[in-house]
Amino acid sequence: MATAKQPKSILKKATYPATTSSKEDRDREVALYHANLIQQRKDIELNILLSTETLIDYPLAKAPYDASNPSLADATEFKRLLRPFQPSDYDELIHERNINEKCGYTLCPNPRVKDGIGGKYRIIGTNGKAKDFKVVEKEELEKWCSEVCAKRALYVRVQLSESPAWEREAAGSTVNIDLLDEPKPVDGAIVEGLGKMSLDGGTGGKQQDVANLALERGDTGMAAKNGLVDVKVQEKEVHRPAQAPSLDDLSGRLDTMHLTLEGHTPEFGSRRERRHAEELEDDDGPDTDWRM
Amino acid sequence: MSTDEEKAKKQREAGEREAARLWRAWRTVHEMVQDRGYELTDEEVKISFDDFKEKFSNPGEAGIIEQMKFSARPSDAMIVRYSNPPTAADPNPPSPDIGTIWIEFLPDSSVGIKQMRAFAQYLSANNFHTGILITNVNITPAALKIIPAVAAETRIECFVESDLLVNITHHELVPRHVLLSKEERTALLQRYRLKDTQLPRIQLGDPVARYLGLRRGQVVKIIRKSETAGRYASYRLCV
Ligand SMILES: [Zn+2]
Repeated sequence: MATAKQPKSILKKATYPATTSSKEDRDREVALYHANLIQQRKDIELNILLSTETLIDYPLAKAPYDASNPSLADATEFKRLLRPFQPSDYDELIHERNINEKCGYTLCPNPRVKDGIGGKYRIIGTNGKAKDFKVVEKEELEKWCSEVCAKRALYVRVQLSESPAWEREAAGSTVNIDLLDEPKPVDGAIVEGLGKMSLDGGTGGKQQDVANLALERGDTGMAAKNGLVDVKVQEKEVHRPAQAPSLDDLSGRLDTMHLTLEGHTPEFGSRRERRHAEELEDDDGPDTDWRM
Repeated sequence: MSTDEEKAKKQREAGEREAARLWRAWRTVHEMVQDRGYELTDEEVKISFDDFKEKFSNPGEAGIIEQMKFSARPSDAMIVRYSNPPTAADPNPPSPDIGTIWIEFLPDSSVGIKQMRAFAQYLSANNFHTGILITNVNITPAALKIIPAVAAETRIECFVESDLLVNITHHELVPRHVLLSKEERTALLQRYRLKDTQLPRIQLGDPVARYLGLRRGQVVKIIRKSETAGRYASYRLCV
């Protein structure tokens, strides 16, 4: 078989860093990097599972707290646990709560409604304005205790990040969830508010800034942290003294000047044909593999 | 005939159909457990429909399905098949990774994290090595994630009742699958000078692999009948 000629890859060459010396070292580094990535992903997935398990039994606080006025502790913990969730994880949480006959909204202590009547669809909003009129799946309605809770739950859902937590590393700490009905400002909340104010001015704000900056730079994953992506800025050295453009320069191109678009002269056909011709010359003719 | 009588008759028939379903699943799961090598008597496995109804129709008790649970111990032959032969490198290999199995039918109309966690806790608390959970609905994806999370303590397998109404291994087009012991596996690879990865494969999720409770890395011998060659065997690595 022909060994002299390797087929040309149309893909970009994978560029790995040239920092490590031997191939084994590099291989080990790559293997470790991927192993870490998988481990990290597993940890996060387990975390989400455990959080889901915890949140099935929420809210922990009893009356007078309810969905419109959740206890501060429950709300804070709910927001914290929800950070790594994707919308699909959140849907699973709602489903799990429903299996236990609870309203899908985590901070609601009510059971979900079940009207026990057959049929797949329900008509709602018949006594309001025309725009309120809707036909919805019964299953969708039975996830909640009331329409407000559906709104509260979906208000949270739209704030969750679509990308999995192990890919949003740097921004992970910045996911902040607002509730449609935040805990009512009693004494405790004021204290928390005060705490927040000082935090925002201090390290918290700085951390957030750094995280945002990292996100903007695009170094979100483990790759950037481990230096697997090796970025080096190389200045281009200028050898000859700078020259001002002159008309002599242009003389050769005068006949195509009218085609120039902002300094660039588009070329059709001619150049491609030339290149094609060159490539054909490079080849020692097609179909010569059989000779070897 | 009055409508009340008709209603009662219909209910009885529905109850009978449901009992027949459960009886078939009960038989299949017993055959499965016996085929894997656990100790069960033939009377237990080949229970007739009447005996089955008799066994579970205790008045005052809960429904049939709530009572459908049993355990079985691995036979000596099974322990040998799962044992780790001593090698030069490892003269004192770990004891076989096999133990008492617990089988339970779950009547719940939906099975989520809570039910799965309760099952796992029941298995650990009673030192069951393996547990088989049979449900009549699909288990939620979140609940299925519990299985790998507790894998260090106990081994959980799940089946849907409707998949057990017939025993797939009794179908004439399904050849006989036999699990090789570790010794047989080593001998096979040495004889053909193979690495295990060079064998053809059977997926962990393959219905027969699930039936036999195969684990990654195990090798099964598949015995086919052939009109021209009598019987011939092939081997597959579980991946
Ligand atoms: Zn609610």
